[in-house]
Amino acid sequence: MHRPSASVSPLRRVKNTMEIVQDSVVSLALPYRERLQVRRTSFVGHGGGPRVAVIAGIHGDELEGLYVCHRLAEWLEQLGETHPHALRGRVDLIPAINPLGIDTLERFVPVFDADLNRNFPGDTEGLLPQRIAAGTMAALQGAALVIDIHASNVFLREIPQVRINQDFAATLVPLAQGMNLDLIWLHGAVTVLEATVAHSLNSTGTPCLVVEMGVGMRITPAFTDQVLIGILNVWRTLGVLAPDFALPPPTHQPLIADDWNVHYLNAATSGLFLPAIDHWMTVRHGDLLGRIVSPQRGGTLAEVRSPVDGVLFTLREYPAVYEGSLMARIMATDAH
Amino acid sequence: MTTPSLLSMTAPLRDHFSIPFHDFGPSGAPPRLALVAGLHGNELNGIFVLSRLAEFLRRIADGTRGGQALNGRIVVVPAVNVLGVNTGSRRWPFDKTDINRMFPGYDGGETTQRIAHAVLQATRTAHFRVDVHSSNADFEEVPQVRLYEPSEDERGTAMLFGLPAVIERRTDQVFTSTLGHAWRTHGGENFVIQAGRAGDLQLPHCERLFRALVAFLHHTGLVSGVALAAEDQDTHYFRRDQTLPLVSDHAGLFVSHHPVGVWLQAGALIGEVYDGFSGELQAEVRAPAAGMLSGIRRQPLLYEGDLIARLQTRASMGERRELKGQEQ
Repeated sequence: MHRPSASVSPLRRVKNTMEIVQDSVVSLALPYRERLQVRRTSFVGHGGGPRVAVIAGIHGDELEGLYVCHRLAEWLEQLGETHPHALRGRVDLIPAINPLGIDTLERFVPVFDADLNRNFPGDTEGLLPQRIAAGTMAALQGAALVIDIHASNVFLREIPQVRINQDFAATLVPLAQGMNLDLIWLHGAVTVLEATVAHSLNSTGTPCLVVEMGVGMRITPAFTDQVLIGILNVWRTLGVLAPDFALPPPTHQPLIADDWNVHYLNAATSGLFLPAIDHWMTVRHGDLLGRIVSPQRGGTLAEVRSPVDGVLFTLREYPAVYEGSLMARIMATDAH
Repeated sequence: MTTPSLLSMTAPLRDHFSIPFHDFGPSGAPPRLALVAGLHGNELNGIFVLSRLAEFLRRIADGTRGGQALNGRIVVVPAVNVLGVNTGSRRWPFDKTDINRMFPGYDGGETTQRIAHAVLQATRTAHFRVDVHSSNADFEEVPQVRLYEPSEDERGTAMLFGLPAVIERRTDQVFTSTLGHAWRTHGGENFVIQAGRAGDLQLPHCERLFRALVAFLHHTGLVSGVALAAEDQDTHYFRRDQTLPLVSDHAGLFVSHHPVGVWLQAGALIGEVYDGFSGELQAEVRAPAAGMLSGIRRQPLLYEGDLIARLQTRASMGERRELKGQEQ
């Protein structure tokens, strides 16, 4: 039986000219006396500025974005106390698009074993994951900018970066450059990624930037501070915040990576990968990045050395590897 | 009238939740009977049956069922692991603890320690206490009452359910952290019921179990005016030395046609083990002795040491060390 998603009565608080509203963009019944709610907190200014959104928690094992949303909420609540008129537009925070996954430590939607980020644009009359996707799309369409914050997975740690599909580069790269991040990775079109929230939004006229930062099942406060500054600066550029409102300036300028200058290092054999270097380090061709060892014996099964001069931007966090497991990614910085 | 709950709690992203229960009959005295199911969130037979029993008791208490009356206080908790039910999890879906290994619980402890404590507090004053389980997701069991080193009263009362089997078992160290064991320290009469298989609903077992609970209510006088079918009084009692577990020495794919509850002769074919690549027959599994097939493996993936079946025999099998599995 089709029933439209019902919203919970919004909780409204008004601070001078900023309203804070809490509601649900998706509300679905579960078998035993529970509803699945995708909750939204909206900070509503009245200066005629655009609406923007930050979303996170599409994958239940990626928590960094939830902490970014907390920090943004805190900053905006503080703004409401001190400079409520500085919010000209509207900010929607949707930190947990997969609340069941987050609460069960599962990347996918439990029971359905569905990757939500392969179920967009969704279907209001489909299965539960498709209804979550459809409700989320309805809440985001028409925004001036959506930032979708991911946190890699449990295996790999990422430096804060934006991933942009070449098809949307013209609109998105200028926005990404102001995000205070270290890297913009332009990638070619990949069919499977057409079912992501970002692709669904970008291809229907709502700009969406995908941020990858940190690692699954963890929070990295230093990366959060960096991303926060970037988001606030971009919002000011878009007119969400007053143009004269003082913000900490961005201190990171992104390098541009693409499918030609990104090098993958995959494990030659199975075992435990032990890194020998720090993340986001400049490396030279031949530098030792790490070793693969066996728990059964001493010595080294395989050395992992950099194939190029460049910057290490992805580094394996989870020690166990199978043959083929990704250990690191390097963006080459020599001219090619 | 608000629904009573064992406790209420917050969750990180899921809605705040409570563990609701039914409380029928006069509220002044302690409950005469407490029924609990869903300590394991994927054991659906007990959850369904207790919810249907609650509906039955509600209509008696409301006077909708003419000629039937409720004569004592009954507490019914259809599902304890409420968050596990909605994610199909045996265990508490956040930290993967087994609620039926957390008793007696502790109200200032970890989440499932708090839940265990609340369950015990709500049920320990009852005289008759019943914890309803299915076997795990791999195994199907005939609806049965399990008695762990019972009193003579419990031996007699167990027959009142009219389930196909009442089976005595030895207490194991791991079971000292179960609800059934925690109840025993509060006296009364305590019963663990196992019916069917987790992960699914088996309607014939549910119907048998529902009739058994109604029979119990009748025989204990908790409900008056109920008529019973004759076949529900066909119950067999098995001592500790009358359980024969069949454990596999082979690994492969196990297949069987048998329903649970059938009586087998010695030598009867129970099932076959095949090699999943070559298709060769590795072993025939046959009943070493005559008896009732009280449980059988439904998960075809078979590992060395897996339980294939359990027989309840007339002859003494000696006391066998029962496997530590995921039952109960």
